[in-house]
Amino acid sequence: MSQIAAASSRTIKEFLRERPVLFWTIAWPIIWVLIGSFVFVSGAPKEIVPYLRGATTIAMMVFALMIAGVANLPSNIASDREHGLLAKLMSMPISPWKDFTGRLLGLVAFSCIAAALVTAVGLACGARFSSTGINVLQAVGFLLLVICASAGIGLLVGTFIKHVHGAVMTGVGISVITAAVSGMFMPYSALPSSLQQFARLYPVASANSSATYALLGEEMAGYNPLAASQIGLTAGLSVFLLVLGTILYSRFCWRME
Amino acid sequence: MLKGINLKVDEGEFYALMGPNGSGKTTLAAIIASVRMPTSGSVAIYGREPGQAKEWIGYVPQENFSSPNLTGRENLMYVANLLGYSGSQAGNLVSEMLGWIGLTADADKRVSKYSGGMRKRLEVATALFPGVRILILDEPTTGLDPAARRTFFGLIEQIKGEKTTIFLITHIGADAELASRVGLMDEGEIIAEDTPEALKRAHGLEDVITVETAAQSEKVASILRDFSDDRRVLETEAGYRIFSRNGDKVLAEVVRSLDRVGHKVTRIEVAKPSLEDVFFRLTQKMVREVE
Repeated sequence: MSQIAAASSRTIKEFLRERPVLFWTIAWPIIWVLIGSFVFVSGAPKEIVPYLRGATTIAMMVFALMIAGVANLPSNIASDREHGLLAKLMSMPISPWKDFTGRLLGLVAFSCIAAALVTAVGLACGARFSSTGINVLQAVGFLLLVICASAGIGLLVGTFIKHVHGAVMTGVGISVITAAVSGMFMPYSALPSSLQQFARLYPVASANSSATYALLGEEMAGYNPLAASQIGLTAGLSVFLLVLGTILYSRFCWRME
Repeated sequence: MLKGINLKVDEGEFYALMGPNGSGKTTLAAIIASVRMPTSGSVAIYGREPGQAKEWIGYVPQENFSSPNLTGRENLMYVANLLGYSGSQAGNLVSEMLGWIGLTADADKRVSKYSGGMRKRLEVATALFPGVRILILDEPTTGLDPAARRTFFGLIEQIKGEKTTIFLITHIGADAELASRVGLMDEGEIIAEDTPEALKRAHGLEDVITVETAAQSEKVASILRDFSDDRRVLETEAGYRIFSRNGDKVLAEVVRSLDRVGHKVTRIEVAKPSLEDVFFRLTQKMVREVE
């Protein structure tokens, strides 16, 4: 437990004290919440503006979670490898699973902080949600799937991209491109049909739609992602990515050459 | 690649492995520290395989692995917690270690504000928690200024007083001189091994004459060759080095000979040989590419 707590606490501190991490994970989504709340809604009917702001807030919350997992986690792993910390850890009586669990818990805690700040700014900008307590719990569940899928992708990037800058650029690239082509920055209905298929398949985008559906309804989500098959696909792929990332991380990052 | 390494280090011994970059020193250290797996052969630490002896190993890799975003105290607490210490036990132990490495006053500053020497002392402390019996230091003084290096080895002197075995990897002769036994390593093999003094005696080095001239030329090297016992001249960035049993006696003649052909000597000195000179004598290679 002590090892998990140590790895977790270190990961949170590292994230909170690294300016690029703070910018990409917290400041950047907040900037888009502000832009989305005041610029992109200018032509919209007054009564739906708070809900458009709500949709923007959810999308940016998901984006923050995605960046934390897909870019920050691998940069943290790559940095530890580049600076010899992984070699140091391998020489110590430590289980890679405990190190991984600690990192993941640190990531979850940091992601929650980022999501809370983005939500607070969204609410301050006038975002509104039409939901009950159950819907909120559903949305939290889908956001946890976002963290799982993102952490899985992040572990894959961190395992195979050896250098810090490479890991950061790859992580940010994956996040921005997949978010753009899966409808997180635009209405689902505006996507071409091939990208709509991708948006349903890609667990981060699907979970984003699911959280939007739970908190704002089908009109804002663009489709009903709460069908059992769709939820099963999203949850299954999220868990699959996390398990795959974990196995490869413990095999390759902690492997004796 | 390591070839035919047969090495035994006794408990409490300070052993230095010296060789140029790429000679296999770090690979050997990583195998002992259980960071790398040997393709053949075996390593035993108090009779156990390295992977089964991790609690006895304190490994300090070449890179600065401490986190610059954390304070010195946080870095040590991280390692203490990983090793199973928690609460006030960990806090007290870390405070004690910070005092021991002379970082109490800077304990709550971020490591990014530390000098290279402070950071290296902190990293050595991460390898010296109770229970560690073998300290493996991989190139610990690379990049340190002379003052930081002296402070660092002051710390190592304190550790030497304990029962801890020290295994130092270095390419710096002056660092290796502090060890009780030195292995010289080249191309994956230990080519000579003994105490520093015995190595110097065994390889027939009396004096090293260092000559610096305003300009380097083949003519200078050719004249110096006549004063060298083995007719070899080592060219360095600043000038030349030759080995002579009569350093003091030939000094004036060296200056006169060079002066006669118009090469002004800007600096000349006679010194006792270093382990780097022994390495050169044995391999015809410099341990360090730049002097």
